[in-house]
Amino acid sequence: MGKQLFRYSEANKEKFLESDNITFNDGSTVSPEEIWHYLTEEAPVKYPSAFEVNLYQGNRGSRDETLPTSLKTRYLGLTFSARMEKAKDNGKSIAFIQGGQAVDPYTAADTIALRPGLVNQWNNGLEYGNDINKENLRRKKSKEKAFHDMSFEACQTGGYEHVQAGDLRIDVIAPYTVLRCSDISYGVEAHRHGPKKNVKLLNVDYPLRYQADKPWAIEYFAQNLRRLVNTLDEVTGRKTSEDDLLKAIKLHNTGRRLGTELAELWWSADVPPTNSDDRASMVSLGNLEVHGDVQASLSVLKEAKKFIAERVKNGVKGHAVADNPKRLFILGSCVGINGSRSEDAGAIVVGRDDQWSHCSSLVEEEGDPYYNLAKATLEYPYEQSIEKRAQWTIEQIKKSRADGVIFIHNWGCNTQAAISRPIVDIIKRETGIPTYIHERDLHGLRDEQEQNRVNAFVEML
Amino acid sequence: MSLSGNYFAGVDVGSLAAKSVILKDGDIFATGLVPSGVNSVESGLNALNIALESAGLKQEELTYIVGTGYGRVSAPYANKAVTEITCHAKGANYLHPTVRTIIDMGGQDCKAIRIDQDGAVVDFAMNDKCAAGTGRFLEVMAGVFKVELKDLGAIALSATDTVPMSSTCTVFAESETISLVARGEKPENILNGIHHSIANRIAGLFSRVGIESDVFFSGGVAKNSGMKNAIEQALKVTIVKPEIDPQLIGALGAAVIARNFAKKEGLWA
Amino acid sequence: MSVKTLDVIRKRLEERPDELRRARENGLKVVGWVGYNVPEEIIHALGFIPVRIAVGGDDRLVEIGARYASSKTCVFIREIVGAFAENKDPYIQQTDILAFDATCLQNYRAAEVIEYFFKKDVVVLAVPRNFHLDEAKEYFAHEANEFTRLLEERAGAPLDSARLAESVALYNDIRKTLKSIYTFQASKNNVISWEEVYDLIQAGELLDKREYLSLLTQTLDELKERQHYPVIASDDGDSRIFLSGSLIPRGDRKLISIIKSVGGRIVGDDLWSGILPHLDLDIKEISPAGVALGYLNRTPHAALPYLDLESDRRLKKLQECLSQFKAQGVIYHTLRYCDPFTFKAKETKNVLAKSGIPLLEIHTEYAGSDYEAMKTRVEAFVEMIKIKSEIAEEQSVLVDA
Repeated sequence: MGKQLFRYSEANKEKFLESDNITFNDGSTVSPEEIWHYLTEEAPVKYPSAFEVNLYQGNRGSRDETLPTSLKTRYLGLTFSARMEKAKDNGKSIAFIQGGQAVDPYTAADTIALRPGLVNQWNNGLEYGNDINKENLRRKKSKEKAFHDMSFEACQTGGYEHVQAGDLRIDVIAPYTVLRCSDISYGVEAHRHGPKKNVKLLNVDYPLRYQADKPWAIEYFAQNLRRLVNTLDEVTGRKTSEDDLLKAIKLHNTGRRLGTELAELWWSADVPPTNSDDRASMVSLGNLEVHGDVQASLSVLKEAKKFIAERVKNGVKGHAVADNPKRLFILGSCVGINGSRSEDAGAIVVGRDDQWSHCSSLVEEEGDPYYNLAKATLEYPYEQSIEKRAQWTIEQIKKSRADGVIFIHNWGCNTQAAISRPIVDIIKRETGIPTYIHERDLHGLRDEQEQNRVNAFVEML
Repeated sequence: MSLSGNYFAGVDVGSLAAKSVILKDGDIFATGLVPSGVNSVESGLNALNIALESAGLKQEELTYIVGTGYGRVSAPYANKAVTEITCHAKGANYLHPTVRTIIDMGGQDCKAIRIDQDGAVVDFAMNDKCAAGTGRFLEVMAGVFKVELKDLGAIALSATDTVPMSSTCTVFAESETISLVARGEKPENILNGIHHSIANRIAGLFSRVGIESDVFFSGGVAKNSGMKNAIEQALKVTIVKPEIDPQLIGALGAAVIARNFAKKEGLWA
Repeated sequence: MSVKTLDVIRKRLEERPDELRRARENGLKVVGWVGYNVPEEIIHALGFIPVRIAVGGDDRLVEIGARYASSKTCVFIREIVGAFAENKDPYIQQTDILAFDATCLQNYRAAEVIEYFFKKDVVVLAVPRNFHLDEAKEYFAHEANEFTRLLEERAGAPLDSARLAESVALYNDIRKTLKSIYTFQASKNNVISWEEVYDLIQAGELLDKREYLSLLTQTLDELKERQHYPVIASDDGDSRIFLSGSLIPRGDRKLISIIKSVGGRIVGDDLWSGILPHLDLDIKEISPAGVALGYLNRTPHAALPYLDLESDRRLKKLQECLSQFKAQGVIYHTLRYCDPFTFKAKETKNVLAKSGIPLLEIHTEYAGSDYEAMKTRVEAFVEMIKIKSEIAEEQSVLVDA
């Protein structure tokens, strides 16, 4: 009540209307006019939390309104829940997956793949009219139940609480058991004692220890991918061919290439062409899964590259970015720092390893698509030995010209927590760049303590 | 049956308070409640002496004493020691035989207890090491706002909003609360958030043991109206109104058990 | 209830670190292993001395371990890392090579961290999550061969099939004898306690295997002489407790001593550090893959997920053990951040409740600060079981007639 809401300024409308339509998987489109209407009329009523001028959102009364991609990714985010509901009404199959994995086989099998963050986003959007406090309270309440149904020490509960409560119509839980997450296979197993017996369960078993160098490990993961596609086919009732997979690989390679080019373009600029959150939301489009619609992500991504090239050429600095900001590279699974508040403290996030490692892993297009996909997946830099992962991270840090590195891990994220120190040790040793390890408290709400530490680190830089 | 002239005592030494109840035959005859000191034997005896004094009795006149609570391990005055889980079950059953579920929130523990028609424990779950949902946690929060512990609940009930707390860990929550105050959030809204956060934690605890009516709320925190309200909302139940101070339920149960032991051992017929 | 051979075993354990030191001076190598699926017979047959690295109960080492592996990893793993950092444990000091498996992902991370910080020579056996599928077994057979190859390199000689057969036969005899001894502890008028058998099992992780078998045989003979046929049944006033959940390694006796102190009697366990690994190991083929698959086909470790509740062999084994040892309640021990077991606590409780067996989860770490809190919970649980049996016998003490 009485909370101040941000509104897009009419002054930028005309330029925005000149931008492209968004095209969706089902061939439908939405025009910039419709997007503008949604963002200025409908969404502030449905989702006031997204517009609230609140410290969680840096108390910002303005945003990067001259960057159309910023509005479009916001549009896709806010319509996500409604689009997933519509997809289900139209008989589309939806799978729960892991963060940090590509979704080529799911796309091939005509299945929407949602990682934990997206499952939560879907659920958050089901209730209208909430301010930030109410939204957070609702989230905490359901998480609390999930912690007791699963484990109090679970890092993320993978939407267990929503799937088993019947709030989200997810057909299959089938993530890769990548090492980035210590809980994922236990999370899948937990569904076996839930009331929803019709949800199919599968762990896509990711081998460990020099896996990409072992032909038998690649073969085993390829078999897992075949099993995955068969499982997805059991849900959809269709038969996915090798050709379907090859097409999906080609499509996703296009996304990965564009995402990589966009990130490198952004890094090439003397001044940051966007703020942290806009950078992250654009680069993450490269995996094409972030909005639950591969084509929509691709169409926004293509256009984004054009806008960023223009900004880089003209030396435009992103909205609310400080002069000569300290450039931060963020490490760790499923978490990031508060972009806007860190910008207020004089920093900018120039990259993350999460959602980037697999975006930068292209899949060979000649030969057995299952074997190729397995090989590329086992080569994810994030999933390699300490030394190898650190070396890849150092390359990214150098490319992004980062001034400091923060490794942040969630409460209960054991497999990332365990190697946080060795990773930052190697980075510090080989680059001399200051590093800082931070542990996000239980429940994952960004708090003052965390920001205080981040700000102190930025001040130190 | 005639029970006249027999006195049984229960002494419950917890982390924040020591409590005692004396039963005369089958009825509550006297009670005592004092803050716990560093010496748990002394604390227990102090609580017992208050009850004895108000009853006009001497300790030798007690037929049987049962000690409970964390101080039960050093209670030389007691004939037997029984855990407070068993005692709360028995105490609640004594007052309300229809009670099947107990929420006990004491100084350092929070318990979800399921009991049968005889007051025997069927299942229970307790908080982990974390102090969330305990009297100690609320005491720390009262300290942050510089208000009396007893007033916390009423303040929370006057809130116009609920500010979510990201942490229920006492240490983190304290600093987060300070940050929220600095950010300009109203104390009553923060306190409301704290109460709801604890209530959700308790609801989670009950997901392990289940809930069956009637529901009883015991322990020192049960005197907090804001917490009672938040728990009723979170668990979607109505809590039975206690006839006596809910902080005394453990001691009452211990006294009931003392009477049963006395009977079993032939000290009272 | 003193069993004389146990005193001999205690004495031999005291002498063991020195013995290992002398063996190493004579050119033998010690392999320290950590992990449920490490096929110890292969290590033994290659001429190494296998020693299980399993330390627990020391909060100081946990703190040290946290400096390297974060405070957010499993307590057991943190203590192991801490023990390597400190390098004072006599067995860790005598270790030339480390063999880890990746059954538990945190165990795998520990291998990486120890390798990185303490420059240890570490061999890792990867373990499939989908362990029950044919393709996973095929993959695991490859991994077992690779594991063997890496150890052969370090042994400087290939694995000899006849020696592997001898090692398998020796270990089979050990397992068989342990199972016979285990029955005695759960019996009426028992002359050996569960606690003593538990120590005896863990002694075998350190002693020379041939000598260990001989000591086990002596122990069994002694037991047979004193008790003839063990009958598994309650003694009066027993609260028969079964221990399940996270492992309880050497050095950690907090929960065990609490159970005893409040009048509970442990009559069985399905702990990784207890009898479970010895129960149903069937090696069908004398080869690295054959031995490793024998391990993988046992009752699986909780770190390996079963996606179908009905066919879960872990739960079936637990229920079978509860019935065999006539347990009245389960204390389910979970260590801080031990996900394989914390995730299953509620489910296991619900499954057992259907057959009227209560379960108490005790979540703890190695600090002593929660001793009293644990004691209250365990004592209340034992009281609950006692009252339950007393009600059943209509001889209630605590409940009105």
